[in-house]
Amino acid sequence: MAPIEQPLLGRVLVIGGCGFLGHHVVNILLRDWKCEVSVVDLKCQRNRRPASDGVEYVEADITDGDGLLKVFGRLKPDVVIHTASPPAQGAGAISNEIFYKVNVEGTRAVIAACQKNDVKALVYTSSASVISDNKSDLINANEEYPVIRGKLQSEYYSETKAHAEQLVLEANRAQDSELLTTAIRPSGIFGEGDIQLVYHAIAVYRGGNDKVQVGLNANMFDFTYVENIAHAHLLAARALLVTHASKTQPLDHEKVDGEAFLVSNGSPVYFWDMMRSIWREAGSPRGTDHAWVMSRDVGLILGYLSECFASLLRRQPTLTRQRIIYSTMTRYYDISKARRRLGYEPLVSLNEGVKRAVKWTLEQEKSVKP
Amino acid sequence: MGGLKEVLYYMFHPNQLRAIIQWKVWHEPVHERDITKEAPTLQSCFKFLNMTSRSFSVVIQELNHEMLIPIALFYLTLRGLDTIEDDMTISASVKEPMLREFYKNLKKDGWTFDGNGPDEKDRELLVHFDDVVAEMKKLKQNYYSIIEDITVKMGNGMADYAINAEFQSGVVTVAEYEKYCHYVAGLVGEGLTRLFVEGGYANPALLERMELTESMGQSYRSRRFWPQDIWSKYVDKWEDLFDPKYRTEAVHCSSEMVLNALKHADECLFYMAGIKEQSVFNFVAIPQTMAIATIDLVFQNPKIFHSHIKITKGDACRLMTESTQNLRLVCDVFRRYTRRIALKNDPRDPHYLEISMALGKLEQFIETLFPTQNVKNVKALHAEKVNESTSSGDLWESLMLVAAVLFFLLLVSALMLGAAWAMGARWDTLLNGGVASSVEEAAKITAKITHGEL
Repeated sequence: MAPIEQPLLGRVLVIGGCGFLGHHVVNILLRDWKCEVSVVDLKCQRNRRPASDGVEYVEADITDGDGLLKVFGRLKPDVVIHTASPPAQGAGAISNEIFYKVNVEGTRAVIAACQKNDVKALVYTSSASVISDNKSDLINANEEYPVIRGKLQSEYYSETKAHAEQLVLEANRAQDSELLTTAIRPSGIFGEGDIQLVYHAIAVYRGGNDKVQVGLNANMFDFTYVENIAHAHLLAARALLVTHASKTQPLDHEKVDGEAFLVSNGSPVYFWDMMRSIWREAGSPRGTDHAWVMSRDVGLILGYLSECFASLLRRQPTLTRQRIIYSTMTRYYDISKARRRLGYEPLVSLNEGVKRAVKWTLEQEKSVKP
Repeated sequence: MGGLKEVLYYMFHPNQLRAIIQWKVWHEPVHERDITKEAPTLQSCFKFLNMTSRSFSVVIQELNHEMLIPIALFYLTLRGLDTIEDDMTISASVKEPMLREFYKNLKKDGWTFDGNGPDEKDRELLVHFDDVVAEMKKLKQNYYSIIEDITVKMGNGMADYAINAEFQSGVVTVAEYEKYCHYVAGLVGEGLTRLFVEGGYANPALLERMELTESMGQSYRSRRFWPQDIWSKYVDKWEDLFDPKYRTEAVHCSSEMVLNALKHADECLFYMAGIKEQSVFNFVAIPQTMAIATIDLVFQNPKIFHSHIKITKGDACRLMTESTQNLRLVCDVFRRYTRRIALKNDPRDPHYLEISMALGKLEQFIETLFPTQNVKNVKALHAEKVNESTSSGDLWESLMLVAAVLFFLLLVSALMLGAAWAMGARWDTLLNGGVASSVEEAAKITAKITHGEL
C-alpha cells in the first residue's frame, strides 16, 4: 500500500462534480488531499464551491465526445474521477435511454478522452448492484461473485453500470496507453445531497406508513455514508498513481488497477432498523410496538395490486413488488478487498452518517417551505 | 410448596424440562477425574475448588488430564490471593506485603494461613493451603512458572490497589476500580491462554492478541460493575438508577453496557476458533454462551433494577449442551441470541442503531467463519442461468415437440374420417338427421298426450 502521509494527487478532474457523490469528492479533495481540482458537469450551478477554493467548473456533456476531448485537452488532468450517472430510480423507455446514453456511451467517451490525453488514473463509480439480480440474497458477498448481466439483470440501470464498469476495467493498460483504471462499487449510498434513500424514508414516515414492517427484519443491508465512498475513490486514485509511477507491475494480491472494489460502511444492519433510525432522527416518537408486521407474500400481493392500479390510472405506483423484495432481501458485502488493497476504513460511522443526512434533509425541507 | 411450584412451572414449560433432562442424560464428560489415582492432597484441592467456585468446578473437572491440575491450581492460587485481598479485617500494612509475596508461598512446604476473619467465605482454603502447595510442587516446571508469573503480577496489582484504597479511607474512585477489573480480567485471561498454549491445546497466535484473552478472563469475576463515566450520562447519583422515577434513563444506561459487551462478542468467537481440544473448548465456550444469554436477559429489561433475575435452569442446560459440541453450534447460539436481542431493540433508545451495528458485525463475523453462501456455488448457479437464458432452445424444442404430436394426431384423425367417408359413411344423419329426428319424435309424443287428454 501507498503511504498517505503526503497525499498528492496532481491535477484531478471530477466528472459529475456537482452531483450528489461528486460534490462530496470535491469536498474531500479540498479537505484531505494536495491537488488542483476541476469539475465537469452538465450544469454547474448547484453544489458549487466558493470561488476562493479555486475549483475550475466546466459545463460539458460527457455524451458529446468531441466536446469532452477539447475540455480534457485544456485541463490536462492526471486523475479522473468519473461519478456522473443519472439517479437510479425511475423506469420506462425514456430513462432507460438516458441510462444507456450517460452510463455506457458517456463512459466510453470519458475513457477515449483519458486515453488521448495521457491521463494516468481513472476511477469509475460503479454500483454494488451489479452483482445483484434484485431477488436473490447476497450474504457477505465479495468481488468474486459474478456480475449479473443481460436478461438476468432485471434493473436496466444496473445493467448499464455493469456495462460501463466492464468498459472501464478493459481500458486498464489497453491500446498502448498508460491509463490505469479501477471501479468502486458502493452499496446503499446516502448522505447530504441525497434525494433518494433518506428522502424517501422520511416521506414514508410523514405519510404515516411507518406503521408497517414487511418481513421479519432479520435481513441485513449495507448502507454507506457518501463521504466514505468519496474517500474510497481517492484512495483508489492514489494507489493507481503509485502503480503508475513504479516500473514493475504489482503482485496479484495487491493489484488495484483493472480491479473492482465493493465499498460500504462495513456496518450491515437489519433493514428496518436503518429505516427506524432515520425516522427517529426525523422526529418519530415511536418504538416498535405500533408496527404491524406484514409477511413478505402479502406484501408482494399488495405490491402487485398497487402496480395494476397505478397502470390503470397511468401513474407511478408508490408500492411495487420490487420495493417489497428490496426491503426483505439480505444484501451485504464483504469489503475486505478494499480494506486490504486500498487501505480503506470508513471515516464516518453509520450512525453519525444518519444524523448528518437527516439533519440536511430536514433543513432542505425548511428552506423550501419558507 | 417450592416443589409444587416447580412441577407446575415445568408442566407449562416442557421445553425447559426437556433441556434439563437432555443435559443430565446425554452429557458425557469428555474426561473424568480418576479419584482412585489421586493423592489425598489433590482430592483436598478439588474439595476446595468445589467450595470456592461452584460454577467453574464442573467444567474444570471435565478438562483433559494434562490441563486439569494446572488450571485447578491456577484457580485456587488466584482464589487464595482474592481471599486475602477481600478481607477487611486485615489491615493494609499487613495485606500489602502479603499480596506482593504471595507467590513465594507456592514453594513453601506446609504453608498455611489462619489470619482471615471468621466471616471470610474461603477462609478454609488458606487454612489448608499446604495441600495446594504440595500439588504445585508436583506440577511440570513450565506450568508452574506460568502460574507463578501471573501470581506475582496479580499480587502486585492487588497490593497497589489495597494501599490506594486505604489512603482514600475506603472510598475508591470508579475509574480506578475499573482499571483494576481490567487488570484482573486481563491477567486471568493471559494465564489461561498461556497454559492452553503451553499444553498445545490452543493456537499460539492467541497470545499475540491480548485483547482477546481479556474477554476470556472477564468471565472469571462476574462482579457487575458499571463505570461512572457511563452511568453519569443518564443519572446524577448511582442510587437514581434504581429509582422508578428514572426507569427510562436506567434502561438506556443498561443499553450502553449491553452495547459495550456486544462489541467484544466477535472476539470471543475468534478466541474459541483458536482452541484445539474438546474439553478446553467446553471450558471456554460455556461461560461465553452464558454471557450472551445474560446480555439478552438484561437488555431492555427494567426488572434488573428491582429484582434478581437469572437465566432459567432449562436455558442454562440447553446452552451447556450446545456449548460442548463445536464452534459451529456455538455460532448458532450466538446468532440465535443476536436475533433475539435485535427484536428487543427500541428506536427510542439512544444506542438503537449502534446496537444494531454491533449485532450486524457479529452476524457478519459468523458468516466469515461459516459462510452460508459459497462463491463456487453462486458461480455455478449463475453459469447455469446464463446457459438457460442464451440457449432458450429448450423452450423452443419442447414447443416443436408438442406441435409435431398435435400434427400427427390431426393427420391420423383426418385420414380415418376420410376413409370412413370414402366408404360411404353418412354424416348427415349423424349431425342433422339425428338431432332433427329426435325432436320430431318428441313432438309426436307430446301431441299424443295432449290429444288424449282432450
